[in-house]
Amino acid sequence: MIGRIFGGLPPRARLLGAALVAVLLLVPLVADRYVVSVLVLVFAAAYLGQAWNIMMGFAGQLSLGHALYVGVAAYAAAALYVHFGIGPWAGLFVGMALAAAFAAVIGFLGFRFGIEGVHFALLTIAFAEFTRIGFDHIAWTGGAGGFFIPVSQVQFDLLNLRGGPTMWYYVMLVLMLAALALCRYLTRSRVGYYWLAIREDPEAARALGIDIFRYKMIAVVLSAAMTALGGVFTAFYYNNLFPERVFSINSSIDLILAPIIGGLGTLMGPIVGAFILTPVGEALIGVLEHLGLAVPGAKQIFYGLVLLAIIWLRPDGVWPWLARRLGVADEDRR
Amino acid sequence: MIQHRIPRSRTGPSRRAFLATAGAGALLAGAPAIARAQAPTLKIGVLLPRSGFFAQAGQGCHRGALIAPAVLNEMGYRFELVHVDTESSVDIARTQAERLINEGANVLVGAFDSAQSIAIAQVTEQRGVPYVVNVAAAPQLTEQGYRFIFRNFPRSIDLVTNGLALIKTLLTATNASPQRAVFIHANDTFGQANRGAMDRLFPGANMPFQLVENIAYDPRAQDLNAEVARIRAARADLVLVTTRAGDAIKMIREMVRQRYEPMGIVSPGSPGMYDQEFYDSLGRFSEFCISNVPWYNPRARMAQPFERAFRAQFPNDKFEFHAFNAGFTLEAILIAADAFKRAGSAAPQAMVQALRATDMADHIMVGGPIKFDEKGQNNNIGSACVQNRNLNPTVVLPSEAATMPPVFPMPGWQQRG
Repeated sequence: MIGRIFGGLPPRARLLGAALVAVLLLVPLVADRYVVSVLVLVFAAAYLGQAWNIMMGFAGQLSLGHALYVGVAAYAAAALYVHFGIGPWAGLFVGMALAAAFAAVIGFLGFRFGIEGVHFALLTIAFAEFTRIGFDHIAWTGGAGGFFIPVSQVQFDLLNLRGGPTMWYYVMLVLMLAALALCRYLTRSRVGYYWLAIREDPEAARALGIDIFRYKMIAVVLSAAMTALGGVFTAFYYNNLFPERVFSINSSIDLILAPIIGGLGTLMGPIVGAFILTPVGEALIGVLEHLGLAVPGAKQIFYGLVLLAIIWLRPDGVWPWLARRLGVADEDRR
Repeated sequence: MIQHRIPRSRTGPSRRAFLATAGAGALLAGAPAIARAQAPTLKIGVLLPRSGFFAQAGQGCHRGALIAPAVLNEMGYRFELVHVDTESSVDIARTQAERLINEGANVLVGAFDSAQSIAIAQVTEQRGVPYVVNVAAAPQLTEQGYRFIFRNFPRSIDLVTNGLALIKTLLTATNASPQRAVFIHANDTFGQANRGAMDRLFPGANMPFQLVENIAYDPRAQDLNAEVARIRAARADLVLVTTRAGDAIKMIREMVRQRYEPMGIVSPGSPGMYDQEFYDSLGRFSEFCISNVPWYNPRARMAQPFERAFRAQFPNDKFEFHAFNAGFTLEAILIAADAFKRAGSAAPQAMVQALRATDMADHIMVGGPIKFDEKGQNNNIGSACVQNRNLNPTVVLPSEAATMPPVFPMPGWQQRG
């Protein structure tokens, strides 16, 4: 497994990767809490983007309802913790199983009945929407009034996921790096090559004997389970859940921005995208304040312009271009 | 060998002079630290959703913050405000709270929405910085054992409790006796929360009428034809509503179209019927609807400078439509500034102690003196019966805050000028 993850990486890529990880490990020792908090959001966005990237980037199946998996798992783990005192590490298995079950139903409906492309995307939105409406009415999880996880003053309790930004920084960093390693492993294994074939030309893949239904299902279920894991962690980070926020289409769109900006279907794309999106947003707040332009909506306009420029200049995402510049392009393109 | 001693004065400072200079230097070097510790001015970080989903309400709150210096400086309060737009995002609320504290904010105020307020509360709790909530109704905000939070806004359950109590007062004051009521509510976060509160409170509220039906509707529905028909079929003479402005407009239009004439339309604690768009869209049909909500007290001493400053700074905005959000935000800043004035220091512990000891009889919103319980909740916030009169939200009850007497039952749709 280790060989599959690190094999084929050019020495330059290994060096850069190791340096980046070393720097990230040291950041909380030198940076203030604001920077650490921003980086927690960056890692979370990178992780969730990586999970979505499996489905769309690798297997070519568009989902615009991934907030469903975040929400279902978040609610499941939070409810188990609040009502039964079951810790998040146990709750995340329940959350992941539930999300995987939802994904299996959506995948089965979509792939068995030939619902593809934008129609499949609509199906994913529909599931997220009716789950939102359902959670609006489930009193056990607070209904539309929201569900709250009791907050603790503890700064570092990994077992119960209660702690300050530094703990969350390392948790999210590990999560992001683990997802990167898993995706690297998958893309260099048989299933990864099958996904590639299905993404590029499903009919040709079928003609070659690939069980398209099976491998699409694997992509959907795996992507959902990974997203669910992120959902559990975000629930314990925010400590409150509202159906209107968690399951909204906006949440689903937020989740897919990082891989699109960074480079769809690339391993580093979600990470690079997340490192661009969140800090640019935060930096714009400060820049506009100093320029005296901090009127409501100004940041959104500038943010939109920045994204527009990135998409215009780098339509394949930033990572493929950056990888070429760094001299790590060929091996890591996928 | 004779060594010539060189006079000290020619080579440099004497020991005494050196010590004096060093002492002065140390004093000067230490001065910023001492100044920081004593913080002669209070730096208040105001986090509001001025863009995004809650932008409209956030802008109303922001107006309250913008007029705060004009209103409060005259009263001897000294503070500096730093305004931050949370963009209605929990993430931005959280990171910006961290940034404001890094940049020296001594107290935070905001954030209109419960989810954002909880995100900020987690930061202030970990950083040990006091946080005054202007508007946010989720009970959990003050039930989590936070030590640095102070909420000057009723919990959602209090909104409905106060709203129902005011309906009784209204019926007593007008000698009216409706027999049957329906409760119609939007099927969104706020509507569901109010429905839950109604389910819990109504059975024990001993109301002088029967609640015959609860009707939930989708606030995004094109019309409320079927819902109004159900209200008619229930033969309700009182309609209790939890709405937003858009669906309240649809509901009233449908009532007029179906010629359904209830004795009254009363909200036991929701916005919608006192929003500007409600008046603009419905004109005379908006009249006499009643909202039992927290409101500014037009007869309070502090309401005069509040209204004056608002009209001076925002001549194109109608004061009454912003009074709720602006009033609570201004009051939150007042609470922080008052605590600082009493504490004489912006140090967190001194501020928290002063906030806990708050006992402010003279304030803006309807209710008793501002006091916080051990959880940081002000339980003295009241509601006012706000009736639409002459296209203005007008306080008609309680009598000590009223500027007009209530009209109930309301005149028929076609009997209005």
